[in-house]
Amino acid sequence: MTQAITVEALTVTFGSFIAIQDLSFHAGYGHVRGLIGPNGAGKTTLLDVLTGKSRPQRGRVLLDGVTDLARLTEVERVLAGIGRKFQKPSVFEALTVWENLDLALRLHRRSLLREVLADAGAKRAAIDSVLATIGLAALSEKPAGVLSHGQKQWLEIGMVLVQEPKVLLLDEPVAGMSDEETAHTATLVQSLRAPGRAIVVVEHDMDFVEQVADEITVLHEGRTLFEGSMAAARDDSRVIEVYIGR
Amino acid sequence: MKIFEGASLVTAVLLALLLVLLPVLGLQFLPGLGLPIYAVNVAGQVMCFALLAMSVDLMWGGAGVLSLGHGLFFAFGGYLCSMHLLRTAYAATHVLPDFLLFMGHGGFPAWWAFADTAPVTLLAVLLLPALLAFGFGFVSFRSRVNGVYFSIISQALTYTAMLLMFRNDTGFGGNNGMTGFHSIAGLSAGGVGAGVLLAETATASVLAALLAGRVLLASRFGRLLAAIRDDEPRLRFLGYETLWLKLAAWCASAAVAALAGALYVPQVGIINPSLLDPSLSLEIAVWVAIGGRGGLVGAILGAVLVNLAKFWLSAAAPDLWPFVLSLLVLLVVLVLPNGLLDLRNRSRAWLGELARTPPPRLRRRAAR
Repeated sequence: MTQAITVEALTVTFGSFIAIQDLSFHAGYGHVRGLIGPNGAGKTTLLDVLTGKSRPQRGRVLLDGVTDLARLTEVERVLAGIGRKFQKPSVFEALTVWENLDLALRLHRRSLLREVLADAGAKRAAIDSVLATIGLAALSEKPAGVLSHGQKQWLEIGMVLVQEPKVLLLDEPVAGMSDEETAHTATLVQSLRAPGRAIVVVEHDMDFVEQVADEITVLHEGRTLFEGSMAAARDDSRVIEVYIGR
Repeated sequence: MKIFEGASLVTAVLLALLLVLLPVLGLQFLPGLGLPIYAVNVAGQVMCFALLAMSVDLMWGGAGVLSLGHGLFFAFGGYLCSMHLLRTAYAATHVLPDFLLFMGHGGFPAWWAFADTAPVTLLAVLLLPALLAFGFGFVSFRSRVNGVYFSIISQALTYTAMLLMFRNDTGFGGNNGMTGFHSIAGLSAGGVGAGVLLAETATASVLAALLAGRVLLASRFGRLLAAIRDDEPRLRFLGYETLWLKLAAWCASAAVAALAGALYVPQVGIINPSLLDPSLSLEIAVWVAIGGRGGLVGAILGAVLVNLAKFWLSAAAPDLWPFVLSLLVLLVVLVLPNGLLDLRNRSRAWLGELARTPPPRLRRRAAR
């Protein structure tokens, strides 16, 4: 398996608080990796480091084993193929579903001016295909602000998806969703699997993670507690101790 | 956003109408039916304020960035224009402005020569304040100074500029400012012809800015600004360097404000640092808040209504004006969160509610 993301000996501190300590982590192409752990384990911080929102004190983060992400700005990382869905649904509420996707799809990644002037028609096919994937085709002309919580989550996944990212980071994609919405999201994430894409899912919903992830990493207090399959994690005494509970 | 729907269409038609009426009535073409030059002048000044309000709304309603320092760009444009007017006055009369004589100067500083011709001055009005805006905006936006912090810094910058211009040594008349304009585009300053010309130009500028601004806001650029307003980090994590988008809008906004100032100063015949007083910059935001943010129409509406009320009341009952303005602000904040433009939607909702709520007697019976 080719590694898309390689994290080596990563340490992140905020003042005296150690959020991540000496962490190693991998996400491979064609795979879905689940990232679980109690609150404060460092899951979101790890995503923040990958996207450039936080800076590590020590350690390296590589894309494709060669590109040192520390050298890239937040925007450059996106253009290099790292897409992220935030924990809180983050869509542009004043714009329609279509307009949200139109902004998300970049035809001219190197020129803002050409992007602003780009022909909307050239984006039609790609947007239509993503609308079908996320199941919001019928709502494409509705303002994103009127969507339900679940629909906003799907729209945001679609906005990241339309950029065809190599690395797709999903931060709590089913938080606050009904069972039906969660099931739909699981199917959606399964369908996003591609040979040229690594997916990392941060989630508290264990059943959801078990459904979508090939392997999981359990974080605890900024360190890796366990790596392997979900079934093995459920039997692991340390994981039970800190996370699942007896 | 549609370029022309309801309110924006009505506003554009009214502006076009004003464009026709100003010369007809101002120059007394129709016997017995005319406007005194005072009224033409008020209309012209109000149009300058409308233009100024639009420049603030482009940033505030468009991108969610509230400037409380647009008086800076307004005054910058005004100072540039008055430099041009003093140079032309000197060319005609060969009398130096008082402030230069008091300073013991025998003539204009050599670099003032750029303001000799109107086209170069206009170019300076459109470029120099935008350049200042670029410098200030670049530093602020790159450091991700947002929200109230940006508003406060923009106001501090304007205040600094006011202190600078108060000094006589700065060379622009200090406290007294600059006055003594002789002619405007060949028409004698303060005359009917010049008054009508300026009011016409200001009105035409408002109409053009409304058109251009609405086209801009309806374009993908406008949608990107709206995205910045809604969730700037999200847009950044879609791969947009929001710094450049904000800077582009910010500089355009400054240029429009400067144009408004350049058209305003010849109408009042004087410029002094009072335009840089933070209270003016705050008032602009009040106009926009009262009118309604986001579509440029509300900015025009707010600026026109508030300033007409101000012209009338500050003559009729000068003590009352601050109370009326405060009351208006309170009313808008409490009842119409997005200004007078909300009135249409709100009144429809209120009427609907009234129709649905049965009269008290019926309600009591239903409760039993």
